[in-house]
Amino acid sequence: MELVVALGLIVFKVALLIAILLLLPLPLTWLERKIAGHMQQRMGPMRVGWHGLLQPVADGIKLLTKEDHIPAEADRFLFKLAPILALAPPFVVFAAIPFGETVSVLGNEITLYISNLNVALLFVFAVIGLEVYGVIFGGWAANSKYAVLGSLRTCAQMISYEIPMGFAVIGVVMLAQSMSLLDIVRAQSDVWNVVYQPIGFFVFFVAGLAEAQRIPFDLAEAEGDLGAGFHTEYSGIRFALFMVSEYVVMVLVSVLTVILFFGGWNGVLIPLPPLLWFLLKVAFFIYLFIWFRFTFPRYRYDQLMAIGWKVLLPLSLANIIISGVVFS
Amino acid sequence: MHAAQKLWVRTCKKTLRSRSEAAMSHALDKAGRWIGWAFFADLANGLALTFGYMFSKPVTMQYPDKEKWLPYSRYRGHHFLKRDAEGEIKCVACELCARICPCDCIEVVPYEDEKGNRRPAKFEIDTARCLFCGLCEDACPADAIALGQQYEFSSFSSRDLVIGRDDLLAKPGKAMTGGVVAARLKTERDVLVEASEPRGYNWWRNIRRK
Ligand code: SF4
Ligand code: SF4
Repeated sequence: MELVVALGLIVFKVALLIAILLLLPLPLTWLERKIAGHMQQRMGPMRVGWHGLLQPVADGIKLLTKEDHIPAEADRFLFKLAPILALAPPFVVFAAIPFGETVSVLGNEITLYISNLNVALLFVFAVIGLEVYGVIFGGWAANSKYAVLGSLRTCAQMISYEIPMGFAVIGVVMLAQSMSLLDIVRAQSDVWNVVYQPIGFFVFFVAGLAEAQRIPFDLAEAEGDLGAGFHTEYSGIRFALFMVSEYVVMVLVSVLTVILFFGGWNGVLIPLPPLLWFLLKVAFFIYLFIWFRFTFPRYRYDQLMAIGWKVLLPLSLANIIISGVVFS
Repeated sequence: MHAAQKLWVRTCKKTLRSRSEAAMSHALDKAGRWIGWAFFADLANGLALTFGYMFSKPVTMQYPDKEKWLPYSRYRGHHFLKRDAEGEIKCVACELCARICPCDCIEVVPYEDEKGNRRPAKFEIDTARCLFCGLCEDACPADAIALGQQYEFSSFSSRDLVIGRDDLLAKPGKAMTGGVVAARLKTERDVLVEASEPRGYNWWRNIRRK
């Protein structure tokens, strides 16, 4: 009986998480368009629902009912597989992400995470690295030069930015003496890591921007020179899957930044519920992503690579040495 | 010391001081640039600018849902034909407008009415071809045709855009005042103006200039 209840709870949590993550792009696209509009002195969507609130739903219906076009020369199997490969890893990563400590609901202790892996950080980086497959298969299978070029760029970018990203969190692991995200947050209950690890945070955040393919690092889908990058040939629901995965990665990077550097659900000054603190911080970083997008131009490809290898990588290595010397 | 010597010393000191000051300020400039570079001053500037814009008033004219722009009197919209004091059509069917029209889109067929006046039996403007140059208005010797204020007459068929004499007589005339006024979308007809007064605000004042 115990086992059934525990299993049911896990299934329920997984289903809830998947539902939230799948529905999250709806408010996020609305927010992004609204913020973009107001930054450009426009209003953004206004006509579907109150202040365009239902616009994402209309967009979703449009995408679902559109023709699902597969190019004649495409590798049909890989073409269909790619969006799923791009979508699955960010969802899987969330299995290891804690959203708070244990809460008691109706006398039962419920944990606000699916599993507390003791190597959660390693798991996160390993799984997020798999997203590259979706991108490269998508670009390759479409048999179109824009798509191939886009996917090559994306792969080079993601691989070269994952290295400084991985190095940047080593300082955090040193401080917490653990790879479990739960322990990392607990270690920050007094002082947030960003105080001890400003360089680590900087490298992680910039690499995260690149990882999430956001401006100023959205080389993968540079509309001006590549059509739409690796998903040039996708339409309808498969295109929507790529978009969903992009938004989920954006949320994921925000969540990771908060957990690793901004104290997770530890609040300061104002005593709010921990979960609320956590969500507020994540929302702030998501806003930052959108804000960046409508402020900065895109980097050139060689600049992108130079930043990754010549600036971020040495910085992250120096950060490891400094934190090793200072905190040992 | 001689006066000349004093002057010499003073100028020397002055130049030295100004030189060292220049070097100082140059060094400070350079340091400032490096500090700015290290802390992303230019990126922060950009972010501050977009943030400021985010809280400024949007310039969107919410046409056709909430607002509509009314033309000023100089606007060249849909043509209309005028009547004289007795209610007779002013046009004398001289065909000058048809002649001057660069698009060749006016067709006038004259006839003699019961009073012996020359009047148009047929007066058609193909607004699909018209470029709204207003030359017909300038050419008319009888002040019978003018370009009015109406600008919402799109259609699914170019045949509907050929407007006959009686329709032209019924079209609205020149605007008196203009600007953006409150309005509401009415699907079966035009955009309905809701304001009682045909004077709106000047849309250009919304644009933030820096
Ligand atoms: S406005 Fe110009 S183009 Fe139009 S009918 Fe008059 S003369 Fe012709
Ligand atoms: S509208 Fe004026 S110019 Fe044209 S035919 Fe009539 S009187 Fe002549």
